[in-house]
Amino acid sequence: MLKIIISIISAVAVGATLAGPARAASGDTVKTIKERGSLLCTGHNGSYLGFAEVDDKGKWKGFDIEFCKALATAILGSPDKLQIIPVSWAQRFPALQSGDIDVIIKVTGWTMGRDTELGLQFGRPYFIGPTTILTRAELNAKSAKDLEGGVFCINAGTSIERIVADYMGARDIKYEALNFEKAEELRAALYAGRCDALAGFGPFLAATRFNAPNPEDFVIIDEVLALEPEGIAARQGDDNFIDVINWMVSALLTAEENDVTMANVDKQRANPPSPTIGRLLGVTPGIGDRLGLSNDWAYNMIKAVGNYSEIYERTIGKDSPYNLPRGKNHLWKNGGLHYSLVLD
Amino acid sequence: MTAVIAPPQIETTYLGWAKRRLFASPGDTVLTLIFGGAMIWFFQFLLDWAVVNATWAEGGKELCREVSGACWSVIGARGRLIFFGLYPYEEHWRSTFACLLIIATMVLSCVPWFWSMKRLPVLWLSGFGAFVVLMYGGIFGLKVVTTEQWGGLSLTVFIFCAVVVIGMPLAIGLALARRSKLPVVRLVAGSIIDLFRSLPLLTILFTAAVVVPLTVPDWAQGNKLGRVVVAFALFFACYQAEIIRAGMQAIPDGQEEAAAALGMKYGSRIFDILLPQAFRNSLPSTINQFVITFKETSIVTIIGFFEIMASANAAVGTGEWTAQYIEVYFFVGFVYFLFVFGLSRYGAYLERRARLSNVR
Repeated sequence: MLKIIISIISAVAVGATLAGPARAASGDTVKTIKERGSLLCTGHNGSYLGFAEVDDKGKWKGFDIEFCKALATAILGSPDKLQIIPVSWAQRFPALQSGDIDVIIKVTGWTMGRDTELGLQFGRPYFIGPTTILTRAELNAKSAKDLEGGVFCINAGTSIERIVADYMGARDIKYEALNFEKAEELRAALYAGRCDALAGFGPFLAATRFNAPNPEDFVIIDEVLALEPEGIAARQGDDNFIDVINWMVSALLTAEENDVTMANVDKQRANPPSPTIGRLLGVTPGIGDRLGLSNDWAYNMIKAVGNYSEIYERTIGKDSPYNLPRGKNHLWKNGGLHYSLVLD
Repeated sequence: MTAVIAPPQIETTYLGWAKRRLFASPGDTVLTLIFGGAMIWFFQFLLDWAVVNATWAEGGKELCREVSGACWSVIGARGRLIFFGLYPYEEHWRSTFACLLIIATMVLSCVPWFWSMKRLPVLWLSGFGAFVVLMYGGIFGLKVVTTEQWGGLSLTVFIFCAVVVIGMPLAIGLALARRSKLPVVRLVAGSIIDLFRSLPLLTILFTAAVVVPLTVPDWAQGNKLGRVVVAFALFFACYQAEIIRAGMQAIPDGQEEAAAALGMKYGSRIFDILLPQAFRNSLPSTINQFVITFKETSIVTIIGFFEIMASANAAVGTGEWTAQYIEVYFFVGFVYFLFVFGLSRYGAYLERRARLSNVR
């Protein structure tokens, strides 16, 4: 009897595991999206400051949401052909595998475990997440070295704790750590002057400064303690979709490199100042055909959301409340890590 | 002749009441002063914060920074988000009506006139039908709004009602099955109850929302919200079944045996004799279970539903309003309080009513 039960259970389990990856690998996501007429992209179950927020009218906005819009426009021609599905952090990977969403654009770090074990395939990083330092302006600190002997507020039990210890240890900078469990406590301690500096994820620090009683009292130091490349994740084994994602990100960067903006894209398209811009905007055909998209997809996308710089500044950069410096998210020629792929 | 003893004289003035209840002895007086003082201090503080030093004026972060009390402006600016979640802005009236409708259904089903096997199902079916038509649309020229976009208070109330309405009959079935004379039925019911009770609600909901689509073929999956509601209802039913069973066990076996001896059929014995008394016996725990369920609905945020807690998080989760999280949580807490307090008052009314009919 027991044997029968065990064999039934294992048969069901094997069936389930076989069915799982089979569903995930099956099909051509771009074709599915086109047939459905909308892209299913990740939102959040609540809000993640600067990246996925909800405005007063219940509409999604933020850095990640703009990339969802860009992808929807690239594939379907309009940023409105997009459904943002609210998912929690824990839910994002199974939701992708089950087909509840087509793609994860949700500040998701490109780690080896996720890449190899979770059946995910990452596109090139679209955001470089820095761990950096927020400090009081009056200290006039320009680097971590200037904060020698100072008190650092740190979120207890997170990777930040280890990152700061490693970084400071390697440079032999002495500091005193003050640990807090909750983000609210961390912020309150900084505002109350219990610490000289707060180490953490860049966007979090930007929000902390924005909410300070007097934001001008705090500055983000232009020094990076650690980086986490954030990638756009799709299901493993859909090469064409990954191509589309990579060239979508690249086209936004190409546009920035060549000063193609939301405002001047029509003028540039009517009279392309360089062959690259001609190819980017589809005046010289090729950018679309080779991906299975229309040749004006990049034009539509830039018209709808702008280039990389416009997206950044509007949502988390200087035109947003957070005013997060571009830092490593600049183009290579401005000291950052972003570059476009060659458009031939 | 029996001597008639006059009832003790009780002073009915406020002063007399206070003297008797608050200042009867020096010890009482000290305690009254301490707790009275603490209460005055607390309510004074609350009043100052929530009313005296607060503002309702329209404005942003700058205005809130100048106010020492609560900055209710956040409710003005983000209130619709809290109440409606991701529901399309132009269609908010639909969500409002749907919410009022389901609340009205809830209130009506509390009226004794509706308590019959015919009226109650009709009431709930029409209430739910109208709710879904209003919320989902697709007919009468209403735009389709998929369940992914449902949110806020309507979603919270919908999940609660659906769970209770589906879960209650299930619970009765499970409770009856568990005391069945047929061993197989008894065993199956017992296993279901024990299985679901020993799993955390979060795991059950996560499985229903996220794991089912990975293992079950497309045609059998249904809608995500539907799956979650059914799973939640099963969980609710397993707890409620045990509550009802406790209520049944308090009734002497003799009653059922007497009914059987009189030739009453099984259905009649159950629905006319056993269940009404079982419900009356288990009323306090049932209301308890309802209250817990109402508050537990907020767990669905972990599987990406924008019920009122998730929309409150979204409301404070923007640069402009992050500092006003206390006001928003206070506000949402108050909304929960209204519902839960209503439920417990209704429970108290039912108990009074049950006592009166017992006397008769």
